[in-house]
Amino acid sequence: MSQSLAPECNELKERYDTCFLKWYSEKYLRGVGTTNNNECSTMFKEYNTCLHRALKERGIDKLLDDAREDNKDNDATLMGRKKCKTPQRPEH
Amino acid sequence: MVLTHTTNHTYTHPFPTVTLAFFLRYCSPQLNPFASHVLSTDTIASHLDGATGRLHTTRIHLKKSRLPPAIMKLLPASLTGGAADKASYILETSVVDMREGWMATESRNLNFVGVLSVVERQMYAMPRGARAFSAGDTTDVETKVVFRSRLGERIRGRLGGGGPVQAQTALVDAENGSGGGGFLKRLGARGIQRSIETLASTKTQDQLGKSREGMMIILERLRQTGIMGVLELRKMARERSLQPAA
Repeated sequence: MSQSLAPECNELKERYDTCFLKWYSEKYLRGVGTTNNNECSTMFKEYNTCLHRALKERGIDKLLDDAREDNKDNDATLMGRKKCKTPQRPEH
Repeated sequence: MVLTHTTNHTYTHPFPTVTLAFFLRYCSPQLNPFASHVLSTDTIASHLDGATGRLHTTRIHLKKSRLPPAIMKLLPASLTGGAADKASYILETSVVDMREGWMATESRNLNFVGVLSVVERQMYAMPRGARAFSAGDTTDVETKVVFRSRLGERIRGRLGGGGPVQAQTALVDAENGSGGGGFLKRLGARGIQRSIETLASTKTQDQLGKSREGMMIILERLRQTGIMGVLELRKMARERSLQPAA
């Protein structure tokens, strides 16, 4: 993948991304291992610990909170309907 | 004020490959030359629902701003973040259901929402009748983008005493400070909202074409070399970028 927004997390991100892409293409897409994706979870944890620090430092965690608040209003007004929690396959 | 733009497209690639290309689309400029405006990509949440088999992913992308520099210059620093190179944080959520054969995605900007909110929703699906986990040859995608500028509404919100935020205050101050009623007031908030929405919509329609071309390049690469080939290419590109400039 491209860089992490926090350069100090690049190494951890790279490891996780590679693990995820392998799991996704070799297992998930083939219908194997559709009940858990634990094999990348340790790498994800390490990467996310690093990333969360960076998100906080840059004030992005606050933007995320705002977005979650805004979503409720936005979806109601923009789409004229409530957001589906579990998206359904559209009827053609 | 809201502008909506909907397009449909059919990829001549099987659904599983298209979903993989979605995750890979900002992988590296070497792989996707149409992603050079993407500065970074991070996964903040990834969850596989064991009961439904659905994969829920949340990512944050940092992209160079879509708003023209002329507009960015007019806006107070408190709204734009004051940075010289204006970049947007984009929140992307996606749900993949391989059993039922669909992927729903949503992308929205996290900053500048007081100026313009862009929400893009995509629904990728196997053609009707195709069976899950069997590779049909095509994938349908519907893209719906909603543009909304809330510039004026925010000002009204403040004057009405409802939920002021710092950005609103700064905007009103900027208006008052420029004398003669201010630039924004002279043009009218609605006119400005409309202009911003139209500009962004036009730019986005260009961008949608490019984003599709980027997806196609990745899809072709996946067809030729498979995922391992793509991972190898990405690794090489990364190593090259890490080498110090001579």
